[in-house]
Amino acid sequence: MSNDTSIPVTVLTGFLGAGKTTLLNRILTEQHGKKLAVIENEFGEVGVDNQLVIQSDEELFEMNNGCICCSVRGDLIRILGRLMKRKDKLDGILIETTGLADPGPVAQTFFSDDEMRTHFRIDGIVTVVDTKHILQHLGDSPEAQKQIAFADVLILNKTDLVSPAELDQLEKRIHKMNSAAKILRAQNADVPLDAVLNVGGFNLSRATELNPAFLEPEYPFEWAGAYPLPTGTHELVIGHCHHDHDENEHECDHDHEEHDHDHEGHEHHHHHGNPDELDVVVMSVKSLDENDLTTARDAAVLTFSDWENKVKDGDTFTPGGTLHRLLLKDGHGHYKLQIPHDGHFLVFEGCGEHPLHIHVAGETVKPDWQKDFQHTHSHEDAVSSVGISEPGELDGKKLNDWIGKLLKEKGGDIYRMKGVLSVKGSNKRLVFQGVHMLFDAKFDREWAGAPRTNTLVFIGKNLDRAALNESFKSCLT
Amino acid sequence: MNLTKHWAAVLDDYVIDLAWSPDGSQLAAASAAGPVTIFKNPEGTKLHELPGHDNGTNCLAWKPSSGSTLATGGQDGKVKLWDAAAGQHTGTNELSKTWIEHLAWRPNGSTLAASAGRELAFLNPDASLRHRFKPAPKTLSALAWQPKGGCLAAAYFGGVCLWDADDFVPQKEFAYGNGIHALVWSPDSKWLVSGNQDPSVHLWVPETDLELNMSGYEGKVKELSYDHTSRWLATGGGKDACLWDCAGAGPEGRDPLMFPHDTKVCAVAFQHSHGILATASQDGVLMLWSPERKQPLRATVKMPSAATKICWSPDDTQLAIGSEKGAVYVLKCED
Repeated sequence: MSNDTSIPVTVLTGFLGAGKTTLLNRILTEQHGKKLAVIENEFGEVGVDNQLVIQSDEELFEMNNGCICCSVRGDLIRILGRLMKRKDKLDGILIETTGLADPGPVAQTFFSDDEMRTHFRIDGIVTVVDTKHILQHLGDSPEAQKQIAFADVLILNKTDLVSPAELDQLEKRIHKMNSAAKILRAQNADVPLDAVLNVGGFNLSRATELNPAFLEPEYPFEWAGAYPLPTGTHELVIGHCHHDHDENEHECDHDHEEHDHDHEGHEHHHHHGNPDELDVVVMSVKSLDENDLTTARDAAVLTFSDWENKVKDGDTFTPGGTLHRLLLKDGHGHYKLQIPHDGHFLVFEGCGEHPLHIHVAGETVKPDWQKDFQHTHSHEDAVSSVGISEPGELDGKKLNDWIGKLLKEKGGDIYRMKGVLSVKGSNKRLVFQGVHMLFDAKFDREWAGAPRTNTLVFIGKNLDRAALNESFKSCLT
Repeated sequence: MNLTKHWAAVLDDYVIDLAWSPDGSQLAAASAAGPVTIFKNPEGTKLHELPGHDNGTNCLAWKPSSGSTLATGGQDGKVKLWDAAAGQHTGTNELSKTWIEHLAWRPNGSTLAASAGRELAFLNPDASLRHRFKPAPKTLSALAWQPKGGCLAAAYFGGVCLWDADDFVPQKEFAYGNGIHALVWSPDSKWLVSGNQDPSVHLWVPETDLELNMSGYEGKVKELSYDHTSRWLATGGGKDACLWDCAGAGPEGRDPLMFPHDTKVCAVAFQHSHGILATASQDGVLMLWSPERKQPLRATVKMPSAATKICWSPDDTQLAIGSEKGAVYVLKCED
């Protein structure tokens, strides 16, 4: 992909006022020694003497009865067709879109047209976000959601206009929508240019380099803690400590609300379902060994999909393969946990926001291991990312059928997808990338001893993580 | 059939346009970088190098019938007129802020049509503006005068409009729901054909409003040429040059003739008043065909780089070829 002679193309999107023009001006005036051509929209105001600036209107070619997934940009086909007729090859092309543009057709242009495919390659889609106003746009504009979903690089601009807490919250929300993009913060679009140009964003292995967390799987629970507990009936308390006496201040250290990982992703204090219910699973774990914890975690995932057993304030429940739904009053509840034998017990919480304490004979027990998990259903936006990571080899035919069917049925909702796949019978990695229904797959380098594994990410609307995972697994040999 | 190298020359960049003067005594070749070179034929010597346009020349067109008036359009938004024999710049029209992409002289030489983005204008032979049309709904992608000269066909994404040559009003408008890359009229003015992004060719008989769509191409169709009898329509759009038989009711229901190349066809050109078709492909191969012979392939030559444009001299004895690497070849073609 990088050894070909195709010219890299950077697509710059973002709402009006987000700072696209500022970024573009910086790219053009900075001394980087590159010969760039800029295709700006008809309202563009960039003009720099030593670079080639071409104005263009955003003409859509609807290839297939007005289907948006099949729309390409006619003006780009025309202008790029002319630009490729140059002896002095360009080092890169920047395409600036208007604020309300859907980045889909721009990206599709490079997939649907053979000539474009041969001479150019999308290096990355860069979306500039106005941190002050983006929340409002996300609420009322599908284009804003798409611009975030399509991005390989997201620049949170004008960070000086919002508080650090708001910024963290925004970044988390945006990361949930597009977990494959690299997120940068800037005040005046002042990001290093090598983070914007030549990012290789359409290449998944680069994307994973940039953000190793994006394939982190999601779980039906948000927090788990391991408690050493003796046989007997102990008190399990949900809710903040009562301010009966001063010492409780000290005890509150165990309140996992204080734990710095605890509220990862939950600053906006949303609840999953009813705020007066908390789903928990308690199970015995042999040791705090990684293997034992993993086994217990996987068992808990299954248990969480079970029917729940309702537990009222004051009721008693026992560890094991049952999902307990604790009924709370104003976020508080006291329950009796019956422990059958001495040992470590894992407590999984469906919503990690609730402080949880276990008291043994009046003393609070500290968890000696705890962890936060990324919750499956914590998206407030319809746009989200689904990452799949599955070792093994794929059956080429099954894979083809699967992709074909998926794109036919869901192509409208899948904005971007990228992946590196291991196909039986080939010793090379199959690298694929796509936009809506159009995709491109080619074998690149050999696995050469690296573990053969399949890595994919989908970014889109209303994605069903479980169904995607399951159907993908059926393509394994 | 004998195909021999007659003369050759090299420009500084991609040969973006190429055309013979009406009497065949000069060949104009524009490089993508801007300069326009006038070669003397049959000597092959460089007569003049005209500066062309800043940022690059896009197109050129000789005024038909007589003289040595050459029009050029470029990325500076200007249309320039030149006396090619004298090497003199004779006029400029600063028509637009955007690229001049297409130029076409009315067959009688009275009017020069020029398009830039969505704008279309008619200029007088001295480069002054005669009429500016209202902008097209989308960027104009091809211009073609009806051979009889009564109207200009102007294509954009979404359709083709036939503008009356004298009254500047639309005679007809044909809708077409896709991108159009090229237009050609059959020499008898019966058929108007577009080469399309979708990929297909679309044929209209403007007189009767008949329409045909011929699809099945590998890729977008940008190469179109009619033979002088108006029977054969040659098209690119894949590894075969594809010929549609337009006799009578047209090509519908008839299998096209397929003339194969090893790589994508990038140029097709029929002779002006004889029956030979020249086709060129990305690998630099050029072939000559006689479509109605049992063994249609007449000759093959290979050039070091792909042709960008091929054109027959007015007397059909020479073939000029422009290439991606900037070479201009003139081949002599003898039966």
